[in-house]
Amino acid sequence: MRTKHIFLFIISMIIVLLLPLATHAQIGDTEKPVDTLVYKQKYGLRLGGDLGKIGRSIVDKDYTGFEINGDYRLTKSLYIAGELGTEERRIATDFLDITATGSYFKAGIDRNTYTNWLDMQNMIYTGFRVGVSTFSQTRNQFTVYNTEQYWSDQFTDSTPQEFKGLSAIWGELIIGLKAELLTNLYAGLNIQIKAMISQDQPDGFENLYVPGFNRTFDSGRFGLGFGYTLSYLIPIYKKDKKVAVKTSEE
Amino acid sequence: MKSNLLVLVIISVVFFSCERDDICAESTPTTPQLIITFYDINNQDEPKAARQLEIIGLDDDDNPLATPIFPRTTTDSIAIPLRFQEENQQTVSRFELLLNADFDNDDETTSPNADKITITYSPEFVYVSRACGYKSVFYLDDNIPFSRDGEEQGDDNTWIRSFEINNQTVTNENEAHIFIYH
Repeated sequence: MRTKHIFLFIISMIIVLLLPLATHAQIGDTEKPVDTLVYKQKYGLRLGGDLGKIGRSIVDKDYTGFEINGDYRLTKSLYIAGELGTEERRIATDFLDITATGSYFKAGIDRNTYTNWLDMQNMIYTGFRVGVSTFSQTRNQFTVYNTEQYWSDQFTDSTPQEFKGLSAIWGELIIGLKAELLTNLYAGLNIQIKAMISQDQPDGFENLYVPGFNRTFDSGRFGLGFGYTLSYLIPIYKKDKKVAVKTSEE
Repeated sequence: MKSNLLVLVIISVVFFSCERDDICAESTPTTPQLIITFYDINNQDEPKAARQLEIIGLDDDDNPLATPIFPRTTTDSIAIPLRFQEENQQTVSRFELLLNADFDNDDETTSPNADKITITYSPEFVYVSRACGYKSVFYLDDNIPFSRDGEEQGDDNTWIRSFEINNQTVTNENEAHIFIYH
């Protein structure tokens, strides 16, 4: 939990620190162009994976996950984006022990809000996704919650029961950044804020974890996710980017 | 743009810090206890407190457990825990209700009076929430939900005269499940 908060803090700090850059760069747009420079912009398919999920699979024995993601550049600032993944997660408390297993697919649009300098192609983006997941949830064990322990034999049922064929659909808002580390190789961070649209609840039970959506909350339909991605751009064609050159007043 | 992003980040930080779902709140109703209230046998609408009552559970061999369920008290309603193991299996809890528990055993006219009662029911497990997991509710037996040991069981001086089932299902502690007349 502590490390998650630290990650969240770092992500927030990076975004907050980069924001003035974005706003600064936009000031230039309102000034009268006197001359223009032309840069070549790469358009293509960017494919990658989620390093965070792979790392967590190694560290956390209760988690196994893998995700591939991709985006395709449509215009100067719009990208079609999607993720395909699979997750297995065990959640165990003193009273309840479950494992959720399944796969998910998310698709949507990313919009780059960052105005790049020169020929750089970094992104600070916001976007949305629609996600669907099919999964199963196994109740490994439960202990009946009883505040009065006079008879002192707490009853525990350790017969696993599997609830199969569950599905869920949700929407996501995503904010993140992608930076070109080496030529065509990008590292990215993102935060996803999710809202459940509909889900199959198991009979007499509920979904505690939905692959792709992450853990559910009793208090509402919202969820949260993080991504740490590494991806490679396969350039398909190039397009000109015209940049106004400012001349000084004097 | 800048303020929108900031709001999103702040919302997500606040949201992520809230983990109250993971603690089972005391206010959440979980496994209920059986509520018994005491009424006057001569005037059956009138609650009548049982004087200096002490209740103790009886094990499978009918031996009293080490400690009473609660200390002796004069009350007209009690909450007692039911034992359970397998779901949907007919289960029995036996209790000894000791009236006038403070009286001297040596004096024959004023001595404690112990009645043994048997509650028969089936437990059923119901999902509550992520933090609380499952609770058990109880369905009192259709045929003999409640009985008191009488002369056949060797007790010729009973103080419980009669009983009435007020609520066949024990799913909450809001109202009495059994009335006892004495």
